[in-house]
Amino acid sequence: MELLRPSSVAEIDGGVFVHGGTEVVPLLREGLLEAERLVDVRGIVPRGVRDGVIGAGTTLAELEAEPGIPDALREASRLGASPQLRNMGSLGGNLLQETRCWYWRLGYDCRLHGGDRCHAREGEHREHAIFANGFCASAHPSDVAAALVALGALLRTNRREFPVEELYRLPDEGNRSTTTLEDGELLLEVELPQVQASTYLKAMDRKRWAFPQVGVAAARHADGSTRIALAGVAPIPWRIDGIDALDSVTPLPRTEWKVPLARALVHRALSALG
Amino acid sequence: MARLIRTEKEVEGRFEEVWIVVEEDPLEQWPEGPLAVVGRPAARQDGPLRVRGEARYTADLKLLGMLHAAVLRSPHAHARAQRIDLGPAFELPGVRAAIGPGEAHGLEEEAGFAGAAVAAVAADTFAQARAGVEAIEVEWEELEVVLDPDDAVKRGLLTDLEPRRYERGDIERALAEADVVVEATYRTQTVLHNSLETHQAVCEWQGDVLHVYISTQYIWGIRQAVADTLGLPEDKVRVVCEFMGGGFGSKNSPDEYTYIAAELAKRTGRPVRCALTRREEHTSAGNRNATIQRLRAGARSDGTIVALDGEFTNSVGWSGWNASTEGPMRMLYDCENVRTVTYGAQLNTPPMKAFRAPGFVEGTFGLECLVDEVAARLDVDPLELRRRNYANSNEGTPFSSKNLEDCYRRAEPHWERRHEVRASSDATWKRGVGMASQIWYGGGGPPSYAWVRLGSDGRATVITAMQDIGTGTRTAMAQIAAEELGLPLEHVDVVLGDSARGPYASISAGSSTLPSMGPAVRAAAADAREQVEDIAEQRGLAKGTPLEEIVGVLEESQILGKGARGPNPTGMSVLTFGVHVVEVAVDVETGEIVVERVAAIHDVGRIVNPLGASSQVEGGVIQGIGHTLSEQRLLDPETGRILTTSLDAYRMPTIADVPEIICEFVDRPDEHLTNLGSKGLGEPPIVPIAAAIANAVRDATGADVHELPISREEMLRALEAAKQKEKRGAPAAV
Amino acid sequence: MSELRLTVNGGEHVLDAPVGTSLAHVLREELGLTGTKIACNEGHCGACTVQVDGVPRLSCITLAHAIDGEVTTIEGLRDHPLVDAFVRADAVQCGFCTPGQVVSAAALVAANPQPTQEEIRHAMAGNICRCGTYPKIEEAILSWQD
Repeated sequence: MELLRPSSVAEIDGGVFVHGGTEVVPLLREGLLEAERLVDVRGIVPRGVRDGVIGAGTTLAELEAEPGIPDALREASRLGASPQLRNMGSLGGNLLQETRCWYWRLGYDCRLHGGDRCHAREGEHREHAIFANGFCASAHPSDVAAALVALGALLRTNRREFPVEELYRLPDEGNRSTTTLEDGELLLEVELPQVQASTYLKAMDRKRWAFPQVGVAAARHADGSTRIALAGVAPIPWRIDGIDALDSVTPLPRTEWKVPLARALVHRALSALG
Repeated sequence: MARLIRTEKEVEGRFEEVWIVVEEDPLEQWPEGPLAVVGRPAARQDGPLRVRGEARYTADLKLLGMLHAAVLRSPHAHARAQRIDLGPAFELPGVRAAIGPGEAHGLEEEAGFAGAAVAAVAADTFAQARAGVEAIEVEWEELEVVLDPDDAVKRGLLTDLEPRRYERGDIERALAEADVVVEATYRTQTVLHNSLETHQAVCEWQGDVLHVYISTQYIWGIRQAVADTLGLPEDKVRVVCEFMGGGFGSKNSPDEYTYIAAELAKRTGRPVRCALTRREEHTSAGNRNATIQRLRAGARSDGTIVALDGEFTNSVGWSGWNASTEGPMRMLYDCENVRTVTYGAQLNTPPMKAFRAPGFVEGTFGLECLVDEVAARLDVDPLELRRRNYANSNEGTPFSSKNLEDCYRRAEPHWERRHEVRASSDATWKRGVGMASQIWYGGGGPPSYAWVRLGSDGRATVITAMQDIGTGTRTAMAQIAAEELGLPLEHVDVVLGDSARGPYASISAGSSTLPSMGPAVRAAAADAREQVEDIAEQRGLAKGTPLEEIVGVLEESQILGKGARGPNPTGMSVLTFGVHVVEVAVDVETGEIVVERVAAIHDVGRIVNPLGASSQVEGGVIQGIGHTLSEQRLLDPETGRILTTSLDAYRMPTIADVPEIICEFVDRPDEHLTNLGSKGLGEPPIVPIAAAIANAVRDATGADVHELPISREEMLRALEAAKQKEKRGAPAAV
Repeated sequence: MSELRLTVNGGEHVLDAPVGTSLAHVLREELGLTGTKIACNEGHCGACTVQVDGVPRLSCITLAHAIDGEVTTIEGLRDHPLVDAFVRADAVQCGFCTPGQVVSAAALVAANPQPTQEEIRHAMAGNICRCGTYPKIEEAILSWQD
């Protein structure tokens, strides 16, 4: 394996991108990711916050300490992972992290790995999804992703610009990926519109350092509209229009419990917005 | 004069009779209360080494030429390796040896659980060894997998041949005549030790002597088991463990990694390390087994518990032993009619191992929650109910000491807070207070020996071949020797951790370290002291002459004291007692439980080091909180493979989860127990915490939780059930 | 193999190691600095915490070839007053997590010499202690300047 460190996008010639390494390094070690070439993109991806534009290389710890960013993003950063991981992990990397589903992480030949079963649906799924779980029941673990969806963030890559929701897609028979980035496409920046208020509430089973059982991000936008997005409830960050969306959940037998929890948190998030 | 005595010894609730040789005269116990050194807070002697990272653990050992072993483990929950070809491993770079079933103890052809060891490879690096393991070709014949404990019991698949039965009185009549009968089923989950230093050993042959460096709780047990298994005289096995990174009961025996390392070291002529990875630690290093407890209690309206009946199903796993989940039901209360049956279900899951009060943690959860349900039904205060059923003997056998009533008295001010705590509830957060009692073993036993060496500089060295598993053994032993010799603590060193350098020492498990080794150290120090007094008399020195002056003439001569742990008191039960009073807050909309305050009051005889003792209590409480709220080993129901194999999935408490912990000790020596009067404290603090939390949850919300962990799922279920019950007109328990 | 230059505790090192080698492995195996412990080797426990330019990171999932900055391990902090504070407070039991705790704590008090209990809990939540020494660790950090 070789490790390259280009200083511009033009120098990139294939390889697996790595920034903080908190996801890539363990995945490589477990054999869930293979790479002949690692490309350290810290020299390319912007880092830091400037006029509402956040470099994708900004660490969660930096976001946690950043005064000018919306509450939802700050809370999502603050409550994610552990201090060491927040020091290492980048915003971009966090958006692209894989599910924590134990079957996926243990290399079962499940749908996300290209196989033809969802082992969780039929087996142990108590930490899994309550929406969009017919094909794959995995839950998306990123707090920050839910916050950015609620905030209506715009992503900029080395090729395109698009709303953050379009970074994600539900896996299907023809394509098992949960993200839409193309080969060689690199997240560079996140641009946030001004919002009136935002919040992020996270339920975990210990006080710190756990993935969201349910995470609720909510933001009231300049036009008065409210956007809500949930972590931990679907294979991708899940946008809902309002609390009534929880009437159309499709929980599995052992994810039923997430429904009242989600309901309570959505209600509280909306109340917090005032 | 040497006397040979037969005496009873207990470890982890299992009893055996042992022969011991007693040489010295019995010493009188010290009086109660802090003495010059014993009973006063002492910082750990080895603290600076550990804090600075200078302590060498087995994981840090690097011997010249050392090879690394990796283990092939069964991916199937039940299978036979019909054909194994180690050949392909040898083709890979760095591979020096490979062994299969039968070639080392613990490598088996029949794998009874996913994670069972089948083969192993030694190579220059761990990565090469792993590659070697992956290259091994195995043809598996898959066999029937049994995962459900009730199913196993029905089919008679038990790890002991028979269930364990116990009965006293007339249970059916007592239940029939009771004013109130409460029946409930409680379930506890499989919990993993997850010590931070994984299980590992480095083995090196020097001629015909095997040196075993191992992360262990029982140096002498390793020596004996390895010698026995390999057919060696015990003196040809040396076991070393100076620092180890946690055990909690899981490191009492050699296990396959030790034998793998020994065999590969023999074949290659080089030292071999065999260390479990964290993933293997989750699958193959033991666990506290899950339990199902079907319980009934009958009581009179005056609060007397007249009947206790329990059917306990322990999910032991492929092998292991049938822990005494019924122990608390048998022993904690003065109840005339008790019946228990305990099944050890044999399943295709990893074998259980002792984990900090095995059986009693699980059984106390069931029993103490049941008792609170009785209290609720009778509308009797839970503390009062426990007092009314206080046992003054252990089924007729007197206690060597029991100060549980003192614990209850000290619990009163904490228990009084419940009115104030409940009143602080609001619409979202309900607050309540719960309590639970604790009974457990802790008397230790013989044999254990120590030597004390005094030089002309007036410094003493205590020599034992003991291990210090993090409980502060070194420091406590130094305190005892210092007290007996009249020396300042800084003038006493303790040397431990090597079976070649010191006499037999007991296991550090079953809360038996201090009560076993402490008296031996005192006896050794007393022996040395007596010799010093003889010298002082011969030199015509006045009483009170400092020790340094007395021995100052010795130059190269030394005074050698030796001591042994004497017998246990006969005809008495040596047990520990305590009570926890816990305050919780429950968010009734989200099911979040926050443990806010724990008052932990323990009666374990004389406290030698109050500083170290409080750390044991805090540690046990926090570990217990993990058991109660967030830890759980999960299996894939289809294949029987473990799904929670990493620490992101198996979640233990962080510093953010810690409540206020108030720690109190009765600190009264057990006058019948040894020259020290101390019992062990390692396990008592973890025993009652789960029940106290569950009872506090009921007090706060009226909801009955019957399952551990009390996950959000379980809490929300219980809240909903309480709501439904209230709708139907039945009042929720208060 | 690939050449690697590291500054550790103020000393310069030049080594050869294959790309993919972790910083923890290099520290322990190549430099003999065994104070940094590996307990999980996948970033889930914090025992391997070191500082890079004063910032706590997990060395077990840090690529040795991708380090920008100076590494400080527990060996480089052996004379820090926190060490004494930990010993006095009895903030150590088996000790396997302790070096990582001290490294995280040292970074905390460098930025914030008098942290509140809340701040301590937030900053130290990435260092698991199975023995449950947390209350004493908190006390050590509250009293480190005494």
